[in-house]
This record gives sequence, C-alpha cells and structure tokens, in this order.
Amino acid sequence: MNIEVTEEREDGALILLPVGRLDSANARAFESIVMDHIGNDERKLIFDFGRLSFISSSGMRVLLIAAKKLGANEGTIALCNMQDHIEEVFRVSGFDQIIPIRDSRKAALDVS
Amino acid sequence: MSELHVSLPAKLTEVRNLSSAVEQFGDENQLPQPTVFVINLALDELITNAVTHGRFDVSDPTIDIHLKADGNIVTLIMEDNGSPFDPTAQDPDDVDTTSSLEDRAVGGLGLHLVKTFAHDMSYEFVDGRNRLTVQHHFKSESE
Repeated sequence: MNIEVTEEREDGALILLPVGRLDSANARAFESIVMDHIGNDERKLIFDFGRLSFISSSGMRVLLIAAKKLGANEGTIALCNMQDHIEEVFRVSGFDQIIPIRDSRKAALDVS
Repeated sequence: MSELHVSLPAKLTEVRNLSSAVEQFGDENQLPQPTVFVINLALDELITNAVTHGRFDVSDPTIDIHLKADGNIVTLIMEDNGSPFDPTAQDPDDVDTTSSLEDRAVGGLGLHLVKTFAHDMSYEFVDGRNRLTVQHHFKSESE
C-alpha cells in the first residue's frame, strides 16, 4: 500500500511530510522512499509530522534505520510538528533519546 | 454496552479497514481520541506480530476482533487460529529502549507499546485458538 509523502527543500535540508497513517500496511513503501533519498546522498533529512495522524512501530522502525544510516555517514535527522499522542509513542519507545524531536520546523532545521 | 466484531483474513493490509471500523466505533461511543489511537496502535502491533511471525499454518488464517465499550473501559479481544503464542509471557526488559543510536536494536517494539498503554492484558489458548484480552481505561470528557 502506498503512502503520500510531500517533499520540500529548505536551507539544504530535505523535508518529508508523510500524510495520514504510517502503519504496517504502508511502512515498506515509506521505507523505500526514505532509503532512496539517503541512497541519493541526502545528508539532512527532516520529517515534518504535521499531517501525520497515526504511527505504529512499523513506521518507527523506518525512522530508526534512517537515523542509523545518516548517523553512520555524518548526516543529520530531525523530527518535528508531532501530535501529542504520537510524541508519547516516541517517548515510551525511548526514541526521543536518540532522534532529535523539535516543536517546529525551524527548530528542526537548527539541529546539526 | 456497545460491541464491534470484525473477522478478517490474517493480512497486513486488513489493518486499514479495521482502523476505519474502530474510528467509527469510537465516534458512536464517544471515546476520547487518545483511547481510539491506542486501540488502533494495539491492533496494528498485534496483527503485525501475528502475521509476520508465520504463526499461521492453516489454510484459512483468520483473526477475529471484538471491541466492547462499557462505562469507562474498552475491552479488545483478539482471537486467531494460528499456533499458540502468549504475548503476555514476553519479558518487557527484553526490549531495547535505552541503548545508543548505533547499538539500538531494530524491532521488538510492538508488544512493548501494547503493554505500556494497556491497563490489563490476559491470554488463553481455548478450543485451538489464541485469545488475547486487552483493556484500556479512560476518563470520560465530562469528568
């Protein structure tokens, strides 16, 4: 199953905005989009979750893999604009300790 | 008391139709949005777990979902005809939520999330079927 991901560019970073649900049904499609960008030498990825209503561990797994790949290549990843219930899932998973989460896109762009 | 029963083939793509049914159930029963979210999260994790671990060695892999709303408690019962598996027996300490980015294990988070957000979980194997019961409590909006 596909996922709609809007792409924008700002200050040298690629901003990805997944729309709707990121779950077990479309996590593979999302993974392939994200890995293509990393494979194309994107070094700063920002995931703007302003239009994301749901995430499960299948979707979070993709973010962890992306963070590992970028981290190993001196790249940067940051997440922003999460709804409260989604942020809680990241906190409970301990992901907030290893992937920068910011309130705004501007703050996410400042992550180095 | 209100109930929802959905029977579905054990496939990942079924999670979508189910989530729509759960949203509607939440609307009808005026469940708070965070409660609807954790129920859908639990369903996604439990169905993913059942389907991807190849537990179904039967010709008609089937999952039955029952949801009941009674007072301030939502009870989710998932039954399937896969081989016996008790998610409540998994040690939560087995899940890595603390190591560094380089060392962090990929996977194993799903059941941890289900357990963390549930108020009660119980498992039994009855008549050749797995039956997992998960309860979520919530405060009604007026409280």
